[in-house]
Amino acid sequence: MDIIYPLAVPKGRRLCCEVCEAPAERVCTSCTVTYYCGVVHQRADWSSIHEKICQLLIPLRTSMPFYNSEEERRHGLQQLRQRQKHLIEFCYTVAQKYLFEGKHEAAVPAALHSLRFRMNVHGLSSVELVPAYLLLAEASLGLGQIVQAEEYLSQAQWTVLKSTECRYATHSLLHRNLGLLYIAKENYEEARYHLANDIYFASCAFGTEDIRTSGGYFHLANIFHGLKKLDLADTLYTKVSEIWSKYLNDRYQVLSQARIQQIDLLGKRFETDTGLDEAQEAEAIQIMTSIWNIRESTSNTAPQKTIFVLKTLFMLYYLMMNSSKAQEYAMRAFNLAKEQHLSVHEQNTIEELLSLISAEEAHPIT
Amino acid sequence: MTTLPPLPMTRPKLTSLARQKLPCSPGTIPRSQLIKEKDDIDHYLEVNFKGLSKEEVAAYRNSYKKNICVDMLRDGYHKSFSELFALMEKWDALRETARVRSLLWLQRPLEEQPDKLDHFYHYLTRAEAAERKEYFEGVYNNLYALACYFNNSEDKWVRNYFYERCFKIAQLIKIDGGKKEAEAHAHMGLLFEEDGQLLEAAEHYEAFHQLTQGRVWKDETGRFLNLLACESLLRTYRLLSDKMLENKEYKQAIRILIKASEIAKEGSDKKMEGEASYYLGLAHLAAGEYETALTVLNTYSKISTDLDDDLSLGRAYEAIAKVLQSQGEMTEAIKYLKKVVKIARNNFQRLDVVRASTMLGDIYNEKGYYNKASQYFQQAFDTTAELTNLREMDETKVHYGIAKAHQIMLTVNNYIESEDLTSLDYLLSWKENRGSIVCDPTIGESRKSTMESLRQVPENLEEERSRFPDNQKNET
Repeated sequence: MDIIYPLAVPKGRRLCCEVCEAPAERVCTSCTVTYYCGVVHQRADWSSIHEKICQLLIPLRTSMPFYNSEEERRHGLQQLRQRQKHLIEFCYTVAQKYLFEGKHEAAVPAALHSLRFRMNVHGLSSVELVPAYLLLAEASLGLGQIVQAEEYLSQAQWTVLKSTECRYATHSLLHRNLGLLYIAKENYEEARYHLANDIYFASCAFGTEDIRTSGGYFHLANIFHGLKKLDLADTLYTKVSEIWSKYLNDRYQVLSQARIQQIDLLGKRFETDTGLDEAQEAEAIQIMTSIWNIRESTSNTAPQKTIFVLKTLFMLYYLMMNSSKAQEYAMRAFNLAKEQHLSVHEQNTIEELLSLISAEEAHPIT
Repeated sequence: MTTLPPLPMTRPKLTSLARQKLPCSPGTIPRSQLIKEKDDIDHYLEVNFKGLSKEEVAAYRNSYKKNICVDMLRDGYHKSFSELFALMEKWDALRETARVRSLLWLQRPLEEQPDKLDHFYHYLTRAEAAERKEYFEGVYNNLYALACYFNNSEDKWVRNYFYERCFKIAQLIKIDGGKKEAEAHAHMGLLFEEDGQLLEAAEHYEAFHQLTQGRVWKDETGRFLNLLACESLLRTYRLLSDKMLENKEYKQAIRILIKASEIAKEGSDKKMEGEASYYLGLAHLAAGEYETALTVLNTYSKISTDLDDDLSLGRAYEAIAKVLQSQGEMTEAIKYLKKVVKIARNNFQRLDVVRASTMLGDIYNEKGYYNKASQYFQQAFDTTAELTNLREMDETKVHYGIAKAHQIMLTVNNYIESEDLTSLDYLLSWKENRGSIVCDPTIGESRKSTMESLRQVPENLEEERSRFPDNQKNET
């Protein structure tokens, strides 16, 4: 955290702030290759991403050592490339995690890093830049900076438009973010158009019943819910919860089978997991909880649906090994089923779930 | 500041053309002013020119398939979308397998058939809207319309898919007393029948029949559904029994056919009843129960006479003749067959004439009346020649040849047995020209003796028989 003397830095190094690209005043003392315009930006960068990548930046930003042979030079270049690629992915996941945790502010520097390295590696007009743009747009949306978000999204859209080969998944992500942007701008017509595109592309990439397609359905349902087209929203919410419930149940079946075999082989317990990455888990929790809230408000008319959502939530938390939450949701479902005098079969299945969780607590996984 | 002129401006054509090629305004303009001007231009264009909207651009850029899907989704028709998407995937998969199988395959991808996509869009979204309102009849009607639209040979699987959907939906419709359900059963029956799964087809047709019993429902063309059910059920039963007869499961076949004839009786359609008893008769014949076969076939012939239906009467007589023939009552059989020939003649049913004449010929041939046999075979042969049906012609040719050979053989045998010079001469001359042999008047009288001698030398007969047909063939 030192003040820098421009004449003392090596030749050809750009003296501009890592976050805002303004002329730099300070330098990070541990890596001495990262500059900032002021304390604020340095702090922000440190807490977001710099702490994790500080030492990794040194080989990228100092000039390459002198190699004696052609072979060594080539090897050195290859190494550099690999380091860059690793950093790209790393920054991307970090930013994504922040986003799903709702820390939009912290996500910005990480996403910016990812974008910059991508530019270095792939050039300015490559499709590879699009995911980073999308992250930045999402973060800006979260911060309420709609104009900023629109700028990033336009950039992304233009890049996609110009490129001829672009994966369906990228298209889908782009349209989802555009949809979210228009929702924020309260232009529901456009938002519906983009979300429809999102679902189409996601279906092309993963199939219509995939969990990665469900996000588009969910946002579309939210729009219809906001527009008071409740029956429409209802079918869409049902679809989303069916997709998730199917995925989680399948996962549970696979795991319980694997567990039976595992006990035979090694005599030790098998850990449960959802088979999702952190971002997807966060998305699942967000989607299912908000569907549950909506169902809760109309649970008098259709308790079956509420219970269905609660069971899905239970399964989700159970697989995430958050047994207290799982139990809470199972209890809720049980009480609701009792209140509404649902069929015995329904009550029995919920009791089964409850016994599952108590068995889990009796033998905590060590 | 506005650099652009107001819209209504009349310029000579050439100037306006030239103006398009010039930059907007001459001279160098500072950057900030250019940016300002750009905003002005944008605004001006937006207000005064109706350019392409975003949607129009998208519609132009993207495939029709994508546009349809997006249109469905933005209005929330997600079920239609999943359905269409799954169908398109299957379509592509089928195309792919077909392409691998054969190079010359003409089925176009779905994207290139906007008509079909339009139909999908139209009916699927309507069906979904109806489903949301729990108005199942609407769902059924729309799905059924789609099924009808795809009722052609190359899209059969799409039609079958929608028939199945209709069937599922129809079970939810309770208001109309089961008419839709009955129709759906009929479609499912048809589906299985085409697929060759007769037992399942029969099951569905039975349900169809049961649901339509005692109702006066009519289909679009005005036919009674109940009658339709009877017809389809009988058809399926017949096919089933055919299969069983092939496998020699006579009892089961007869049981099914008895059921069929009972249904036909209930259907109060005489013609159908007759048909049912005809097939029952044939089954009895195949099982070897001649007496029952005769009584059943007699009812058939009676019904046919009542209806003045010569064709079925002909068939009835023919079947009766077959039964009699199997029983060994040749004279009776001949009587019936002659009737058949007469009826068929009158109705210009040449194939029937051929069949009956051949049977008659066969009977005479067996009994040793070769003259008559060859006469009937000739009749059969002449009729096939008129029909120019090559396969039939070949067959009757052989029959005719055999009969003719038998006929000649008598005379030849006589000549050989008499062992005198004149006979030898006859034989030699016949051998040389291979024409018809001159008949000695004495031979007709001594027919009896030759008949006996024939039986004494069967090998000789076989030999002759195998030699002569060829000869006869060459002649014709």
